[in-house]
Amino acid sequence: MKKIAVILVSLLILNSGFKVGVDTNSKMKAIFIMNFTKLIEWPQPYREGNFVVGVVGESPLYTELTKMAKTKKVANQSLQIKKFSSINDINKCHILYVSQNKSGEISSVVNKLKPHNTLIITEKQGLVEKGAGINFIVKNNRQKFELNKKNVEKYQLKVSSNLEALAFTVK
Amino acid sequence: MSKKIYILFIVSILTSSVFGQFVGKDDLSIALFYLQKNELDSAKTRIDLASLNDVLKETAKTWYYKGFIYKELYKNKDKENKTSPYRITSIESFEKMFTMSNKAEFEQSASKILKYEASTLYNDAARMLDPENYKTAISNYALFRKTMKLVDEDANLDSRDVQFKLALASMLNRPSDGKVAVDSVNIYQVKKLYSEVLVIDTNNPGANYNLGILYYNEAAEIINHMDYDMDIMSLNAVQDYCIEIFLKSLPFMKKSYDLGYKRRETLIGLSNIYYGLNDLEKSDAYKKELQDLEKE
Repeated sequence: MKKIAVILVSLLILNSGFKVGVDTNSKMKAIFIMNFTKLIEWPQPYREGNFVVGVVGESPLYTELTKMAKTKKVANQSLQIKKFSSINDINKCHILYVSQNKSGEISSVVNKLKPHNTLIITEKQGLVEKGAGINFIVKNNRQKFELNKKNVEKYQLKVSSNLEALAFTVK
Repeated sequence: MSKKIYILFIVSILTSSVFGQFVGKDDLSIALFYLQKNELDSAKTRIDLASLNDVLKETAKTWYYKGFIYKELYKNKDKENKTSPYRITSIESFEKMFTMSNKAEFEQSASKILKYEASTLYNDAARMLDPENYKTAISNYALFRKTMKLVDEDANLDSRDVQFKLALASMLNRPSDGKVAVDSVNIYQVKKLYSEVLVIDTNNPGANYNLGILYYNEAAEIINHMDYDMDIMSLNAVQDYCIEIFLKSLPFMKKSYDLGYKRRETLIGLSNIYYGLNDLEKSDAYKKELQDLEKE
């Protein structure tokens, strides 16, 4: 009987484990970004060479985007993910993702990207009024996005009507 | 002439010895005779006949001894057989005995034997909790329950039920040999088992914790397999579905937290679930609590 108790107890202490390596939030954002590459049109000179997505600051999204770049392309352009530690390091890219810890420097980002055709994506409330083209927000636990069409078009990018329709708010 | 005398002599010898004893005796008496001599196979043949006899099958004594003889057969010849038909027949015979009005004299003894048989069923069920034999374990456990209820219909088997269900769920919640993930059919069954445990014991920490993880993993797995090319409409639909699952997971993990179960793992769980719910503030709060715990 003692042996039986040992068998049962040894089974009882085996608990389930969490799925590791799944960053649920970043995966959703990466899929949104992949959609933005299809629903926004870049000027002709940006349709050649690599399609560059920059991440400024620290964000787990960088890892997810790097994973995505291994298997996905934007039309016939290879995806390249770049990490910029500071605003000064930023150079030409199609999309720039401004992480939370660099959100306070949005004005410098906007200035830095003036000569480029870049879609600026942020993840902090209010930044869509401060220069971001797209801002990720959370509504009812769901990842959504706000769109500021003017801020996108400022960089000579064309927004598809589908993207407007899918945005949580359009400014 | 001498041949006839010889035959008569043989017949008279036989009728006055072994067979002679059985003249006018019923199959039950003969079965008991063989039982006394420990000739179990012969006892079985006779008790089987007795239990078919129109008169004998109406007496509790017949069914008691059928149960007894089959129990002896199980014990002496078939103990290692986890699905021994002898044991099953023995229990069924006692069950029949309990339905009879003239059972009083045998009740106590039958109950004692049934308790012994129930304990062997429980032990066999526990021993068979492995991927190859767990279905037999389930049927043995069901028979254990039934047997215990025959002895005492008010017997409280809650703690045994919880223990068995938790052990079975744990066993099913492991990938089978050569596989990385747990089979989806098993996951469904595991969730069902933990839910059943919570019906018996709402505060069972293991069931709460594991259900929290199972629901979290279900949503995380879906997200993990989402294609980067998925369009936004589909993404929103998947997101809605996964949020519902994360929300299902949350109360179980919170309960595990309230119960103080596996503090470290539960904090990781809560942080992950809130992260899945895109509530990064709460996710960070639990992460911080975990860091503080690890500093202690």
